[in-house]
Amino acid sequence: MVTESAHEFETQDLLLNVGPQHPSTHGVFRMVMQVDGEVVRDIIPYIGYLHRGAEKLCETMDYRQGIGFMDRTEYLAAMNAELSYVMAVEKLAELEVPDRAQWIRMILVELNRLASHLMFMGAFGIDVGVFGTPFIYAWREREAIIDLFEEISGDRMMYAYLRPGGLAWDVPTNFVARCREVLTAVNQGIADFDGLLTKNEIFVARTQGIGYISAADAIDFGMSGPSIRASGVPLDVRREEPYLKYNEIKWDVITETDGDVYARYLCRLGEMRESVKIVEQCLEQLQPGAIMPEKMPRMLRTPPGEVYIRTEAPRGEFGVYMVSKGGNRPYRLKVRSACLSNLQALKHMSVGQYVADAIIVLGSIDIVLSEVDR
Amino acid sequence: MRGIAKSMMTTLSVFLRPPVTRDYPNVHKALPERDRAFPLLLWDQEIDEPFCTGCHACERACPVECMTVLMKDNPNHKSVGGTSSRRKIIDKFWIDYARCMRCNICVEVCNFDAIAMNNTWSGHEMSVHDRKDLVMDLQQLTTQSHSGQIKEWVPVLGKANEESAS
Amino acid sequence: MPEGLFGLNPWLDGLIRLLLIVGLMTVVAMGLIYIERKVLGRFHARVGPQRTGPFGLLQSVADALKLIGKEDLRPRNADPWTFEFGPYMVFIPIFMGFVVQPFMAGFGVRVLDLGILYFVAVSSVSIVGWVMAGWGSDNRYAMIGGMRAAAQAISYELPFVLSLLSVSMLAGTLNINEIVLAQWQVPNIVWQPLAFVIFFIAALAELNRPPFDIPVGESEVVGGPFVEYSGIRWSMFFLGEYASLFIMSVLISALFLGGYEWPFGTQLGIGFQLLLTVVKAAILIFLIIWVRASVPRLRIDQLMGYAWKILLPLSLVQVLVNGFVLVYHLPLPVLTVAGVGGIVLLSWLTERAIRKPRAARASAIALQSEAAS
Repeated sequence: MVTESAHEFETQDLLLNVGPQHPSTHGVFRMVMQVDGEVVRDIIPYIGYLHRGAEKLCETMDYRQGIGFMDRTEYLAAMNAELSYVMAVEKLAELEVPDRAQWIRMILVELNRLASHLMFMGAFGIDVGVFGTPFIYAWREREAIIDLFEEISGDRMMYAYLRPGGLAWDVPTNFVARCREVLTAVNQGIADFDGLLTKNEIFVARTQGIGYISAADAIDFGMSGPSIRASGVPLDVRREEPYLKYNEIKWDVITETDGDVYARYLCRLGEMRESVKIVEQCLEQLQPGAIMPEKMPRMLRTPPGEVYIRTEAPRGEFGVYMVSKGGNRPYRLKVRSACLSNLQALKHMSVGQYVADAIIVLGSIDIVLSEVDR
Repeated sequence: MRGIAKSMMTTLSVFLRPPVTRDYPNVHKALPERDRAFPLLLWDQEIDEPFCTGCHACERACPVECMTVLMKDNPNHKSVGGTSSRRKIIDKFWIDYARCMRCNICVEVCNFDAIAMNNTWSGHEMSVHDRKDLVMDLQQLTTQSHSGQIKEWVPVLGKANEESAS
Repeated sequence: MPEGLFGLNPWLDGLIRLLLIVGLMTVVAMGLIYIERKVLGRFHARVGPQRTGPFGLLQSVADALKLIGKEDLRPRNADPWTFEFGPYMVFIPIFMGFVVQPFMAGFGVRVLDLGILYFVAVSSVSIVGWVMAGWGSDNRYAMIGGMRAAAQAISYELPFVLSLLSVSMLAGTLNINEIVLAQWQVPNIVWQPLAFVIFFIAALAELNRPPFDIPVGESEVVGGPFVEYSGIRWSMFFLGEYASLFIMSVLISALFLGGYEWPFGTQLGIGFQLLLTVVKAAILIFLIIWVRASVPRLRIDQLMGYAWKILLPLSLVQVLVNGFVLVYHLPLPVLTVAGVGGIVLLSWLTERAIRKPRAARASAIALQSEAAS
């Protein structure tokens, strides 16, 4: 038993401030690490640097205006964020979405999941220390997806394309062919990432066994998305409560059992492959038809009520809780952000690891700060 | 070290492929028709006046309140011997591009199809030294449509493509 | 003592040669920065610098001008002497390493009989500068970076020196030029493939190149010891980094690839010899850049474990095998076979050492529970 007096010198842990301006904090996240040499003893995260009051803003906006703020809530997967919002409004207003609109929504959401996961691969590769290569590879394929979104909606990040009831306007006529082109590019990108990282001994050494979280702990922390599926919990809202048309096509929930950083990486890689499959099946199902319900009022008003809608965004469960007291705007809007919940586990996962590991654990949760702070 | 060898072969295969860089300021990629930059006012070439009647619909619908609209009686109206059928017409119009979040709502609420999103590169390359220079007045907003520099795309809301519907 | 270049006093002659090489070196380092950016760009599916001059050739010049023109900042709490002299302590030893570099037959700055010893002694001094920069900056990132640099340099010095030793055993001399001349038939890489691999890995670590860029790791310690530097002092670090990249490539090409000697002999004239050396160095530099584009960064404990547990024993075995072969006059191809076997062993050990997920997870859980209690 070593007591304090047995040490010849009194040592003091170092407080290392990481962020809000640090290359690896994925935005403006700040954490203060208490390090003993290179080992992290404690982590105190500080959030709120990007707080914009988006929820409150949406309460002053009518339902159409709120969509734009949902884009900015999660800018890497704006379609997914919009989807939760418009589905909440649809459920409040009891709108029936036409089939074609649902299939197109599914394609767009899955493509956006691909774009977001590509972004993860790139940023995570940089965190692990490959100089720029995965980032540019990710950018290359993400660019193809974003170009497609630009042709459809007109904007590259803030689409404002999904509307309560369906879509704002129809997709271009060459949509299917363009989607297939994009999928080819993305497949190449996935192959590149697979070759670059998956088997690389250094990558494996850096990620395997790091940032372990058990299934029980992950559930306790309220994690969701690939972060919890990597711990062996097959929690996927698309399977639990199928929305859109997810129960009409064949796809698998990707789970890993290790619960470490490497498992989270593999999980996302597998999900990208699944997303490609989903989009391919959706493209076959796509039929001509209406994209909005027959009788849409010019100004959407909802009856009083409250609703909670959750969808599977790339980072996990993106929920929208909406209360309406009648009228054309929500009385209360609450966004359940997957990033915020996943971030809670950061300390649990990285205490006791090295400084370099704490960085990649943060990278493996794949946070988007605008979603954390809202 | 086989994994590292595989990584190195992957990077080598990328090395041998052509680079994907777009030489941006020299080569502009073709923008899609639906590209959304910033809102512009459209010009009625037949009567030679803006389509906009200053009805404040866009101003009210704008989520970020970046527009200011003033209307006036149309001096060119038929009742006073002019050629236009617009009783009221836009007098002053300001859009603060620094505030605009390009949500397209102003285009959607316009009853006269008088406003459209700029879908050319001139709408994207707008960096200025002073943010006051981003407040556009009526003259700046209508110039491009007046001189026919843009081919506007006004979305047909909620309607299926004719090709896909048939 | 070699003949003077222009029949001058040997001291004056040495000075002229040194100035020549230092001046040339700055240009070479700037060129290397450009080449690295271009080549790395292609590995990234980009094009690299292209705006400054034709094909961006003047990019390094523009960067150098910018760096010279920048304000030389010093944090208020920094230790002035350590902070200001850190860059020199990095820069000067690296350039001193040039003294023994064999570019052409008989034309280095000096041909020293203990050339390898000198190089090893001088090149490891620069780590003092790293620690000075890390300590003097009064920045916690810089300090962590400086400590990492020291730990890394100490670990990799040993396999580095031992693999040099195995080459000089074969040639029977510590004189780099004589080692080059001894390779007139077969370059050392054929007889000493394992030593080459170990030396290459250790050289990457000495140069702080990926996967061993732990002291400067941008994603963790944001540039490590350099984080507080700006302007001309920062550019000294940078210049030193690329100069040492070039030195190391020339040294590897001299020791393992036959330098200016193999495969054409020394009859072909000085210019051709220089070209041969530079081409061999260029291939090595390309290899180093290629590695940079492909591998993640190791962690500090993994890096040290790899040096002490795998590279060091293997390089000791290499020295031992060399000793047996040389003492008992066994045929030299035995060395090749042993070396290739050693590389296979190294590869297997690397894969085995790195894949221990269960144990790693157990230790992580132990750490977690320790932290929780």
